[in-house]
Amino acid sequence: MRIDRASHSVGLVGGPGREEAVAFEANVRIVDEPAFTVLAVLGASNGRLSRFDRQILGAGRLLADAGEGGGAVIAVLPQAADGLGEAGADRAIIRGGGDFADVAGRAEAFLALDRTLTPRHWLFAENGPEADLARRMAIRLKEPILTDVEHLTARQAVRASHGGLREEAGPPPRLMTIQEDRVASYADRPCEARLLDAQTVSADATDSAIVESEIVPGDPSSMALAEADFVVSAGNGVSDFDAFHRLAAALKATPGASRVVCDAGLMPREAQVGASGTVLSADCYFALGIAGAPQHLQGIAGCEHVIAVNTDLHAAMVERAGLAIVQDAQKVMPALLHLLREGET
Amino acid sequence: MRVVVLLSAGRHPVSGRAILPPLEAQAIAMALALDPHCYGLHAGCTPDGVADAPGYGLPSLDLLTIDADVDPVPALAADLSKRKPDLIVAGRRGQGGNDTGLLPYALAEALHLPLLNDIVSAAQEDSDGMGRFEQALPKGAKRRVTMLLPAIVTVHPLAPAAAPFAYAKARRGTIEFREGPSGEAAPGLFETRSRRARPKLMRQADAESDGGGAAIIDPDPDDAARMIVDYLERLGVRRLRNEASRTTDHRD
Repeated sequence: MRIDRASHSVGLVGGPGREEAVAFEANVRIVDEPAFTVLAVLGASNGRLSRFDRQILGAGRLLADAGEGGGAVIAVLPQAADGLGEAGADRAIIRGGGDFADVAGRAEAFLALDRTLTPRHWLFAENGPEADLARRMAIRLKEPILTDVEHLTARQAVRASHGGLREEAGPPPRLMTIQEDRVASYADRPCEARLLDAQTVSADATDSAIVESEIVPGDPSSMALAEADFVVSAGNGVSDFDAFHRLAAALKATPGASRVVCDAGLMPREAQVGASGTVLSADCYFALGIAGAPQHLQGIAGCEHVIAVNTDLHAAMVERAGLAIVQDAQKVMPALLHLLREGET
Repeated sequence: MRVVVLLSAGRHPVSGRAILPPLEAQAIAMALALDPHCYGLHAGCTPDGVADAPGYGLPSLDLLTIDADVDPVPALAADLSKRKPDLIVAGRRGQGGNDTGLLPYALAEALHLPLLNDIVSAAQEDSDGMGRFEQALPKGAKRRVTMLLPAIVTVHPLAPAAAPFAYAKARRGTIEFREGPSGEAAPGLFETRSRRARPKLMRQADAESDGGGAAIIDPDPDDAARMIVDYLERLGVRRLRNEASRTTDHRD
């Protein structure tokens, strides 16, 4: 039996049926002749937009819509990603190159882009490689930059300074890096996200000083829970912790646990998810045998996608989940392990 | 290998007292491991806060006195181009000044040096004139870089912890005051005022997320497993199947 709650509450856009699909097409917001452009530089690793990426696009949308004549938001990202239009991008530029490699070379490529497109704003995430890139560009362009912006409106941008005791404010400058969870992401009619082919940026220029570089991906099993992007968590419905750990390794997820399990000493306290443990920033949360106490749900409030396996149909976690399986976690774990082992060969 | 640590006058975020920013204490520990005779460099008007640096193990400290609100980059660039260190270590952001994190970049531009940001470890390569660094990337990833020296590196908070502050070392360290070049006070480009705390956005499942989706009741465990893996792959969270053919394309 399958209960589909989603069909009861269809959102504003689209729905089943051909007529509505046509309406959906017409509903796309198209900016044909923008008066100016706003460039949003996205990390978009593995071809998907993170929440932070969508916030950067939201900031771009804010500035583009407020300017006279209406502007276009151009997303600059390493590879094609889904949901760009829904996130508020009018155009997209695929820059090529890797997720992180060679920021110095990319800065040169972006300077060339700056000359051809002359955008009104450049928006970056205050996050690793993008923060680095923004600063390199500010120095090369000899332009003021507001870094780590924590409040952005069309009229002013504000950032903390002097160790957080004072703040700097001014009209939004051309270059800005935005702090995470400061600007709301865009949630209106989807935009066009037209790919600009001719503008493909090649990042051939390299940093001559770097002789050799190699990226070592983070190890999910030893990662701190707060920085993990995918957490698989065990609750009272799990009794075989050996299988649970093997499953976490096979899924390449960071293991977590509910309070009950940590109290029983079956998992370390660092693994506890919830109000008195770690509040997650993960994209996806996989709850095995967790009913979902309010304190636990607080810890996963920021998780975009939740999968729950629980024997109780009426558990709060089942209600919260995007995919809920009403089944014994102890039976699903070996089946998953078996399936994943098959997939490897 | 000759190593310099750039120091800044910090403010404690709660008390407002002058301190050495914790990141720079970490930078000192990193520099000492490479060069036991490394020295610190600061351009500013008073030694407040910076004077703590010897307490974290820094043997000596040069202080270029410049007027308040004068851009420190020309003073630092003039001094560093004379002494030609192999490696310049700085914190990734200040804490108590403008805190933009722009100074290392401005210095790299002025001295025509390469810059590597957010490093968590540094070692000297066996062959001369090169260094091995580890750079912190988002989501726990690291990047190992072998780089030609001289260079500027900035230290990430995930770098090894600083040595504890020792009063005897603080007394033993030497501070040399030197006159820095005089410059015009640069007016700030943005208005500064006392800070207003602004809460961060609540992290909530967005409208487009899938809360209250499908509930599948009592499926066969194998079907359930397949549904879960399909769901994860559809979301792009993990690519769990045919891993061998996919490992190459995202490691460039």
